Amino acid sequence: MEYQHDIEINGEDKYLNICKHNGLCKKEKDSKDDTDSNKLSHIEKAYTTILGELGEDVDREGLLRTPLRAAKAMQFFTKGYKETTQDIMNDAIFDENHDEMVIVKDIDLFSLCEHHLVPFFGKAHIAYLPNKKVVGLSKLARIVEIYSRRLQVQERLTKQIASAISEALEPAGVAVVIEATHMCMVMRGVQKINASTVTSVMLGTFQDNPITRKEFLDLTIRK
Amino acid sequence: MEHSKQTQFGSSDKKDAGTSSVVNGHCDGMVKRPAGGPSQPPAAESGSQRPVMESWREDRTRSVEDNEMRLPSLAAAYTTILRGLGEDPQRQGLLKTPWRAATAMQFFTKGYQEKIIADVLNDAIFDEDHDEMVIVKDIDMFSMCEHHLVPIFGRVHIGYLPNKRVLGLSKLARIVEIYSRRLQVQERLTKQIAVAITEALQPTGVGVVIEATHMCMVMRGVQKMNSKTVTSTMLGVFREDPKTRDEFLTLIRS
Repeated sequence: MEYQHDIEINGEDKYLNICKHNGLCKKEKDSKDDTDSNKLSHIEKAYTTILGELGEDVDREGLLRTPLRAAKAMQFFTKGYKETTQDIMNDAIFDENHDEMVIVKDIDLFSLCEHHLVPFFGKAHIAYLPNKKVVGLSKLARIVEIYSRRLQVQERLTKQIASAISEALEPAGVAVVIEATHMCMVMRGVQKINASTVTSVMLGTFQDNPITRKEFLDLTIRK
Repeated sequence: MEHSKQTQFGSSDKKDAGTSSVVNGHCDGMVKRPAGGPSQPPAAESGSQRPVMESWREDRTRSVEDNEMRLPSLAAAYTTILRGLGEDPQRQGLLKTPWRAATAMQFFTKGYQEKIIADVLNDAIFDEDHDEMVIVKDIDMFSMCEHHLVPIFGRVHIGYLPNKRVLGLSKLARIVEIYSRRLQVQERLTKQIAVAITEALQPTGVGVVIEATHMCMVMRGVQKMNSKTVTSTMLGVFREDPKTRDEFLTLIRS
């Protein structure tokens, strides 16, 4: 499960350092003898400890299987680490003589804040200008899934989606906008219920040409 | 959803003592723990000897000092989880995550350390000759699903018919906070709020409606984005008189 992210985007390669770790770390690769079920039971035990330390009674009926359920849920929320764009994109790239904007918007997105391990969720809007190659539309949503089902920071997530599409299709431009609500801000801390965080990445024509960018934003964010 | 036959307000559920798993099937699950001891609570209290639904008057068993003491082991557990998920706890973004996540989780369960009388209700019950419905609606609520440890959030609408005593309005919202900031099941949460208000004020009737979204259903499992769960508890005249109930439900919808 190599995490591939080896092109430079707009001359920036400092991003690579972050990306390399947002995947299986070397330590984990070394201990391959740890099977998946082994890992699950470690996580399960950790959750049992957590329940006890919070002052709850781990033997009460409602909590009896909670450590296992919570461990499985957490594994589901981070299943993106095991998936690569190669796996899902390879068969669905088609040669098509189309060079107008293609937009897939309102893609529901659920991720986990890597700082508090608390969900954040929202919508992603993706656009690209094909350069002889188009991609199956659901693959854009699948790319969002791969990168969002990880411990994430919204800025990095946006960038990873944009660069994955860029690498796979080599389009004339890619734009990704994510609007999300962070439970770590809503349920705790400042507790601002209506605050929403918007991040965007514009590559290629979307970055160079303000009219293209405006067209994209008009079609997605401005309702 | 089970309805308890609660026609007599002001008494805690002593009449149910001795029968376990009645009504909501549990007491809050809080067991007194010896200070500084990480050992399991006295196991003898589990099962049939556990009092059913603890009275709202009971003190909570977690303290701020407890929180500080338990933080290192909570953080260690979160580090294990990060490793188990295949992440690198040493990378920059995750360095302090175990501590942040542990503190966050303690915040999400701070309802266990708050006392209803001392912290919430003490001074805010007033004698008032008012016997019309009082409603506080659209109270934002955040809780944690006790089955998956994933957030639940939504809105609570509370209505009550005072019987010579009214409650400071924000105290209704504070009661919601105390019971929602726990590991919860939505049905139980609704009932606990209703019972707490009943026991504090002895009103003629109480109605509580909660509409919430469960992230455990939205982010995983069935993955139904737009689903909402609605639960309600009607006590006293809200249960007996359909017109009162109707008025309450109409007013919270508008």
